[in-house]
Amino acid sequence: MNDFGLILIGLILCTTTISSLQCNHLPLQQRKVIENSLQLLDKMGKKFPQQCLREEMSFRFPEQVLKLGQREAVKMAIEEIFHHIFYIFSKNLTLAAWDGTALEQFQNGLYQQIEQLEACVIKKQTHYFQKKEVNRLKLKKYFQKIDCFLKDKQHNLCSWEISRAEMRRCLQLIDKVVRRLNN
Amino acid sequence: SQRKRQSSLRLATPSLEPPLCYFLVGQTNLKSPQDIQVYVVNTNFTLRWKYTGNDTDVTFSAEYRWFEDFKVDGTEWKKLPGCQNDTRTECDFSSAITEYYDKHHLRIRTERREEVSPWSSIFEMTPYDIAQIGPPGIELQSINGVIKIKVSPPEANQVQKMWIDDLSFKYNLVIWENSSNAEFRSQSIFPTDKIYDLAPDTTYCLKVQATYPLESKEGLFSPVHCIKTTHKVNVTFCATNVSILALNMKFHLHWDNRYKQHVSYNVQYLSGYLKKLYDDYSVKWLNVPGCENITDTQCNFSSIITTVSGTFYLRVQAMIENNKSCLSNEVKVIPLVTNEIGPPGVKVDISDDVLLHIQIYPPGGSESEVMRDNYDFSYRILYWKNSSNNEEEIKMKEIKQTIGTISDLTPSTLYCVKVQAFSKAYNKSSHFSKEECIKTPGDKILPLVILATFVTAVVAVLLVAAPLIFVLYQAYSKIKYVFFPSCQPPLNIEGFGGQLFNSPYRPTAEEPIENFSIIETIITEDLNQIDFKDYKHSKQSSRDSGNYSNDDDTSGSKASEEMLEKEIV
Repeated sequence: MNDFGLILIGLILCTTTISSLQCNHLPLQQRKVIENSLQLLDKMGKKFPQQCLREEMSFRFPEQVLKLGQREAVKMAIEEIFHHIFYIFSKNLTLAAWDGTALEQFQNGLYQQIEQLEACVIKKQTHYFQKKEVNRLKLKKYFQKIDCFLKDKQHNLCSWEISRAEMRRCLQLIDKVVRRLNN
Repeated sequence: SQRKRQSSLRLATPSLEPPLCYFLVGQTNLKSPQDIQVYVVNTNFTLRWKYTGNDTDVTFSAEYRWFEDFKVDGTEWKKLPGCQNDTRTECDFSSAITEYYDKHHLRIRTERREEVSPWSSIFEMTPYDIAQIGPPGIELQSINGVIKIKVSPPEANQVQKMWIDDLSFKYNLVIWENSSNAEFRSQSIFPTDKIYDLAPDTTYCLKVQATYPLESKEGLFSPVHCIKTTHKVNVTFCATNVSILALNMKFHLHWDNRYKQHVSYNVQYLSGYLKKLYDDYSVKWLNVPGCENITDTQCNFSSIITTVSGTFYLRVQAMIENNKSCLSNEVKVIPLVTNEIGPPGVKVDISDDVLLHIQIYPPGGSESEVMRDNYDFSYRILYWKNSSNNEEEIKMKEIKQTIGTISDLTPSTLYCVKVQAFSKAYNKSSHFSKEECIKTPGDKILPLVILATFVTAVVAVLLVAAPLIFVLYQAYSKIKYVFFPSCQPPLNIEGFGGQLFNSPYRPTAEEPIENFSIIETIITEDLNQIDFKDYKHSKQSSRDSGNYSNDDDTSGSKASEEMLEKEIV
């Protein structure tokens, strides 16, 4: 982090007011959101189409981001992943032809978690910033790859199905980590 | 030729920059650029530096390399496009950078004709980390005393983006009255939003910045836009005081309306996430089933809360005859946060070992599973002795399970219990349940023991006493018979003569007939006969209870014997 960034942090810390929000329910809610999201991901579409197997892509999710060494960093990584998934599923889904209701519930659930954490993030920002950021950048690269893949394939059915399978894998990983985090 | 030698030297030692070698090869007085800075806004990269030398006809050239995919070894140094032969001390090299998450190295040197300065110190950067969020775009509309604002993201319509995830932006609005000493008001807004609480017919100025909360990044402000608010038309029939009452996941919307004429209402809802998107969500409001065209000022909208994960907005559209309608304020529903927890059900029981068992039924009725799943209930039990003396201490116990046990109870006491469900995570607690009272049994044990002992004793006594009494009686009668026989003659001998027939002694029918035959034989003989008769008498009379027949004087002659025979017969 260079000096400019540090000054920015300092300014933010000075000017933002600390709110006394109720944030205790976020870990419990997070677990529920992950459970629900996995169910809805399955519900919104059918089984992975055979014809899309040829186009299978290897995105290589950076698993070290979820290593349990630093709890706060892992929690923030999970919240960032929610942001990225929410973004991806807001794109043009007409060719995917998925269940609209399940999709809406999926997005709405993710968004609720994102919004509530935003309100509480003021308390957490100092922790996150001081950690090594390489992993965060790797995470961004991973989602950038998926975004580019979807754009290149013009958001066709197979690209969506592959992305959905990838997000499912991602959420399952997070689910495991979250269970261990809270035990 | 000097240049060639320089370049060959560079190749030989690619990672080292030994300034000494350059001095040896090519004489130069040129100073290297210093104080390199990179200024990035969105995908626009500007390189700035300082040149402290006195020379005026110098140019600058830059080089760069980057570390692909977080590798340790970087690429070769390449010329930095846009920063070659610059005369100013800044250049734009946006076209060179495409990998925003990879680490890059930059360096510059001063050049003058054939002379070159040493390379400056390396400037290391990761584009994403130093990039600033550019200003967003603003569109304003003034409607009915309210400013409608539409924000477009910083890199809208750009192909190459630094901020790929533009949904993660949170927009910060700063607004003030266009007058002196105006107060600045700062608030967070959605990409499409309305600004309320403004004075009508007033000019307001505002500016918006995009922020990235997860990384605490604040972007540059947009240019200031000013707009005048219109006159506010007071619509009389709008729904007011829109509020939510939610208990055990049953959600009700309530509102008021002071309008006296007939008004019908439509309650509408919107999924919360739609506000985060850049599309116009005003067309996406849907009617709540069962609350369309109603006249009642309340609506049960539990049916739209399909999952507990998900924020919703609700509003009431009021309509009167000539198709005029008015929209109320919006209320936000976060199901698990908005909902109130009802009291749990309680049943009490006392077991034989004087333990009070409390069976708790989680609140929610039909929705109890959903609530239990999401709230992670704990239960607070209050219990106390219900005596006439109200000074009894109320004790408390907290449990996670639905069965609680209380020990250490005093017997023959009325205990009362009430239970409250609470969620530690959501900081919510229900009202207390109704009081359930139960009396602990008296000391049952001691009276039982006493009773049992008494009964056993009585039985034992009876078992022992009865045979004893019987034995004693038997002994007594035997002894009496042996030692104290009765001396009374038999009554039939006493009344001998004329009272024979009146004697109470009568032979019974039980007498065996054989006796008669014996008597006959006795008569033909002598004295022995009499003995036999006497013996027979005594035998007969011994059947009586105590009257013994004795030997009488044998004055009774044969006549008496005959009499006797007759009698007997």
